[in-house]
Amino acid sequence: MEKEVVISLKNVSKYFEGRKTIDNVSLDIYRGEIFTIMGCSGSGKSTLLRIMTGIIKPDEGSVIIKGKDITRLSYEELNETRKSFGMLFQYSALLDSLTVKENVALPLKEHTKLPDQIIDIIIKLKLSLVGLRGFENYYPSQISGGMKKRVGLARAIALDPDIVFYDEPTSGLDPVVGGVIDKLIKDLSDKLLITSVVITHDMQSVFKISDRIAMIHKGKLIEIGTPVEIKNSNNPYIQQFINGSPNGPIDFFKEDIGLTDLY
Amino acid sequence: MINYLGKFIIGIFKETLEIIILFFNTLGWIFFGFLRRKPVKLESIFYQMVFAGVRSVLIVFFITIFTGIVLAMQTAYQLEKMGAVIYVASLVAISLCRELSPVLTSLVVAGRVGSAIAAELGTMKVSEQIEALDIMGIDKNRFLVAPRFIALFFMLPCLTILGNLSGILGGFIVGTTSLNINPYLYIQTTFKYLKLKDIFTGLTKSFVFAMIIALVSCFEGLNTKGGAEGVGKATTRSVVISFILILLFDCIITAIFYFSKL
Repeated sequence: MEKEVVISLKNVSKYFEGRKTIDNVSLDIYRGEIFTIMGCSGSGKSTLLRIMTGIIKPDEGSVIIKGKDITRLSYEELNETRKSFGMLFQYSALLDSLTVKENVALPLKEHTKLPDQIIDIIIKLKLSLVGLRGFENYYPSQISGGMKKRVGLARAIALDPDIVFYDEPTSGLDPVVGGVIDKLIKDLSDKLLITSVVITHDMQSVFKISDRIAMIHKGKLIEIGTPVEIKNSNNPYIQQFINGSPNGPIDFFKEDIGLTDLY
Repeated sequence: MINYLGKFIIGIFKETLEIIILFFNTLGWIFFGFLRRKPVKLESIFYQMVFAGVRSVLIVFFITIFTGIVLAMQTAYQLEKMGAVIYVASLVAISLCRELSPVLTSLVVAGRVGSAIAAELGTMKVSEQIEALDIMGIDKNRFLVAPRFIALFFMLPCLTILGNLSGILGGFIVGTTSLNINPYLYIQTTFKYLKLKDIFTGLTKSFVFAMIIALVSCFEGLNTKGGAEGVGKATTRSVVISFILILLFDCIITAIFYFSKL
C-alpha cells in the first residue's frame, strides 16, 4: 500500500543573520507515523519544527502540508490550515490567565460553534485522556510541570488534529511522567492515526516511540531511518549522539569557542 | 557615529510604521471582526475595563485632587497681589479641564496600566504563549490587543472626567477654607467661565492618549525579545515612549485648538 505523505519539505533553507541555520533539508512524513527529529541543541531542529508550523518562513524551498504549500498561503488560509495542527510546547505555553479548563476550551470556543455543554463534555474527555480529570479549575501556576505538559497535550488534541507537533515533550520531566507522555504520544498515533512530529534528544524515548528517525546536525540532514537502522548506523555522528560520548566528530569545544586554530 | 545615528532613525521610522499597521489591524478587527464571524470577545473587554478603569479610580482621584489644591494655592499667591483671589476658581477649573487632568490622568494610566500590559504580553511572548495562539490559529491582535484598546479608549476619558471633578474639588477645598471665598460664589465663578468646549478639548486629548497608551504598550509587549530582561526592557520602553508621545501629541493638539480658536 502506498503511504500517504502528509508533510513534505523540499530543499528548505533558512538563514539567520547570514548564517545558514537550515541547510537544504528535504524530507517526507507519512500519515499516522511518529517521526522524530533528533540533534544537539542549536542544530536547527526547533527552527525546522517552526518552519513546519508556519511560524518561521523559510528563505528557500517549500513546505507542503496536506497538498498545500504553507509558505505561499495568505494569513487567513494559514490559520485555517493550522486548525488541523496541534502543538505541545517545550514549556507547555498554557495561558496563565486562564484555568486548565479554559485553556483546553480555547481552541474549541474560537474555532467551533459548539454549545457550552458539548464543549464541557469534550474537555472532560480530553482531560481524562491525559489523566487529569478533577483539575479543571486550577490555574497553570498551581500545577506541576508534568501536569502542565499533559494539559498542553489535551489542548493540542482538543480540535482532533491530524498532525501534532511535539517540542521536546519529555525534557524536564521525571522518568515516570516522561514515560506517560511517551505512551500518550504512541496511543494517539496508534488509535487516532494522528501524524506526530517529535523533536527530542531524550534517547530513551526516541527509540521507544519512533517509527522513523531523522538526525540533524548544523542544519543538515544526516540520516533518516527506522530505529533499528539508526541504531546500527555506521555514521560516526549518529553513534556519538546515541552514546552521548564527548569525543567524536561533534566537537563542542572546537565549534563553539572557536578554538580550531589551537588544536 | 553617522552609521549609528542612521540606524537609530531608521529604527524609529520602522517602529512608527509598525505601530500604525497595528493600529489599523486592530481597528479592522474591532469594526469588521463580526463580519468574519470573529468578533472581539465582550468578556475580555469588560475584564480589561475593570482593570484599566475601575482599579485606576483611586490613584487618579488622589493625583488630581492634590494638583487642584496646589494649583489653587499657587495661583492665589499671585492673584492676591492684584486682589483677584476669586478668579482662582475659574483658573483652576479651566487649566484642569483643558490640560492638566487629561495629561496627568494619561501619564498615571500609562504608568499603571500601560506597563502592566507590556509586562503581561511580554511575558506571554517569551514563554511561547503568543506562539501557541498563532499555532492555534487565533489572531493575537483580535484576542489580546483589541480588548485592551477598546477598554482604554472608553475608560481613559471617563477617568479624565473624574480627574476634572476631583481637581475642582481640590481647588474648592483650598478656596473655601484658607482663601475664605464663599462656597456658593466659588462654584458660581467656576461655571461662569468654564465652557463646555474646554471639557471637550480635554476629552479629545484623552481619546488620543488612550490610543497611544494601548498601541505602544501592546506593541512593545508583543515585540519582546529575550527572557526576563527583555520583559523589563519592554515595560520600560512602553512607559518612556508613551510619556514622550503623550506630551508630544498634547503639544500638537493644544496648538491645533489654539490656532483654530477653539
